[in-house]
Amino acid sequence: MDLSQYAELFLAESREHLSACNQLLLDWERTPANSAPVGGLFRAVHTVKGMAATMGYGRVTDIAHRTENLLDLLRRGSRPATDELLQLLFRARDALEHAVELSVVGREDELDVAEVVADLESAAALVAPHPLAPSPRSGEGERGGDVPPAATGRLVQVTLRAEAPLKGGRALLALKRAQALGAVQGVTPPQAGFESDDFDGRFSFRLDSSAAAADIERAVRAAGDVEHVSVGGGGEERRAAAPRGGAAAAAAAEATPEKSRHIRVDLRRLDELMDLIGELVTVRGRLNELAAARRDPAVDDVAIQISRLSADLQAGIIQARMTPVWQVFDRFPRLVRDLARELDKQVAFRVEGKEIELDRAILDELGDPLLHLLRNAVDHGIETPAERRRGGKPPEGEIVLAAVRERASVAISVSDDGRGIDRARILERAKREGLVDPHAEALSDDQLLRVLARPGFSTAEAVTSVSGRGVGIDVAVTRIRALGGSIDIRTEAGKGTSFVLRLPVTLAIVRALIAGLGGERYALPLTYVAETVEFGVQPTTIVEGREAIVLHDRVVPLVHLRRMLGVSGDAPPRCPIIVLEMGERTSGIVVDGMLGQQEIVVKGFDPPQGTLPVFSGATIMGDGIPALILDAGGLV
Amino acid sequence: MSHTVLVCDDAIFMRTMISDILAQAGFEIVGEAETGSQAVEKYRQLKPDLVTMDIVMPDMGGIDAVREIVKQDPDAKILMCSAMGQQALVVEAIQAGARDFVVKPFQPSRVLEAVQRVLG
Repeated sequence: MDLSQYAELFLAESREHLSACNQLLLDWERTPANSAPVGGLFRAVHTVKGMAATMGYGRVTDIAHRTENLLDLLRRGSRPATDELLQLLFRARDALEHAVELSVVGREDELDVAEVVADLESAAALVAPHPLAPSPRSGEGERGGDVPPAATGRLVQVTLRAEAPLKGGRALLALKRAQALGAVQGVTPPQAGFESDDFDGRFSFRLDSSAAAADIERAVRAAGDVEHVSVGGGGEERRAAAPRGGAAAAAAAEATPEKSRHIRVDLRRLDELMDLIGELVTVRGRLNELAAARRDPAVDDVAIQISRLSADLQAGIIQARMTPVWQVFDRFPRLVRDLARELDKQVAFRVEGKEIELDRAILDELGDPLLHLLRNAVDHGIETPAERRRGGKPPEGEIVLAAVRERASVAISVSDDGRGIDRARILERAKREGLVDPHAEALSDDQLLRVLARPGFSTAEAVTSVSGRGVGIDVAVTRIRALGGSIDIRTEAGKGTSFVLRLPVTLAIVRALIAGLGGERYALPLTYVAETVEFGVQPTTIVEGREAIVLHDRVVPLVHLRRMLGVSGDAPPRCPIIVLEMGERTSGIVVDGMLGQQEIVVKGFDPPQGTLPVFSGATIMGDGIPALILDAGGLV
Repeated sequence: MSHTVLVCDDAIFMRTMISDILAQAGFEIVGEAETGSQAVEKYRQLKPDLVTMDIVMPDMGGIDAVREIVKQDPDAKILMCSAMGQQALVVEAIQAGARDFVVKPFQPSRVLEAVQRVLG
């Protein structure tokens, strides 16, 4: 059988389980006496092991098997976790992740797992109740000579062939065969479930028998139509599976998960669909224009229906692309913990708004910028416990990663209660490098970010070591801008720093204002458009050397697009100003005229060298002529 | 010596088919029954090595017949013949003492596998 087609599925599912392991280990570390996470860890690792074995990934299987062994011993001993054990389990999880990633790209051989495997083995030997009791394994490779444990219930897991008819009857026959060897209990799903047509042919039970694993397996297989049998060891697990009220019900629920209502879809398929719908939207625009010109009620009718249907279709596919942010956030608790440990800092990390959704394409790009910001927060923001005490703060610092939905965008913030950024130092340096007016007395938050986001500036050693900020900020800013988003910074000396990233919910199709300028059309996504006012009517003033208007008691600096793009000719005397708002920052874009609003399909583009950084992409208008999309982030 | 078989089904077509499959495999068909009560009666007379039992039959159903036969002879080896969708009935028959089952439409190989399991 060609297994390569399953590799992606294996990877995705393994990642999920390993991510869950991280969370469980962190929980366990927080309250070492509560060993509740062990069960979940055991199951996750067990699942990865099963999948890896099927794929033929020997090293993944090996690490998983040994980790599972150790977890099994810990689970049965229900002992509190020592720091040493937890660190080992963290390491094993990481090794497993590494092995999974390398295996699917065929580089498994590069792995050296000897060390972690040896450590797992010696830890297991220490934890084992009897010195080196034969470790219970699933049936494979241990036939005949298997020394059976004392007559305790052994877990037997059976999977019937998928094509087997009336699986319930077959399962019952298997149980009867097993009963010939000893008492059967803890059948999951409960036997009554066998009569249901939904029974999928997977079941397990406890068998009180001293028969060898191979004999048990043979007996069960004799019932016919058996695809797979695994015979495990006895022990504490039986508590969970024994038919005692709630526990049994819980075990049953676990063994037969509700039929999943989700399927996995390759992201590329969604992208293709999105592209097709994008074309449909373009054609729809053209149809609307034609219908408007025709003034034929019948054509109008069809055009309206097509509009409605394609809008629904579009909304549906966008919804299908939405992914909760936890898929990216979930790896950060571990990262923050590791970093804090390494730097001898105490950090409480909190995540809020995990369920907020973003387009998958945007979410995928967020990992690195957030990583930079979190790393900075731990490394440079949070002080050492001693320093915090001197400053009258609790020794444990706090970092909060939060997602909040705001109209058509999502705001993601990374906040710490650390020392804040030293503005004076940054200002001094910025002046020296000629980045700000030499007479400036202070840096506003916006100016601060602008300075920090300059690539050459931010990596300068003096800044990072003294003020503690800068590394990677330029990377983060660039990445977020490319996504049509913005970054804001708030910082207060001694109180902390907070970065707020604002991102559009989806990239693919946006409503945009179409502005005309010198015969060309430009699209401005509505996400950041606050309002439009008229230039020539609104009085202008000069603020800090820039032309601006005052709107609702706020100063809005103006950008003349015509001048900025170097379009020749004069602007009409009265023309619209499109007011953009990104967080606290605003800007008024002066264009020649407004040509209405419409949905545009965003196509990424690689701007030629020397292009002003004010375009985020291009789109095809209803008449088939392309238009550039203005990047709000580059204009405010 | 070949194994003896009692074939119970209310449809001649089915009885013929099962008989053919088993006879070709070397079994000796010693009797046929059209109802559950006939099946019980003939089992008592013939003491066959194997019974194939349809579930739905007039007079006395197959499951009741299994109960009666097993009551008389706990070692009776009965193979149920079921249709798709009769999961609950098959489960009931097994609880009553049937040793295995085959599902219509019959595939000779699967019938023989089941017979081997029952006799094995």
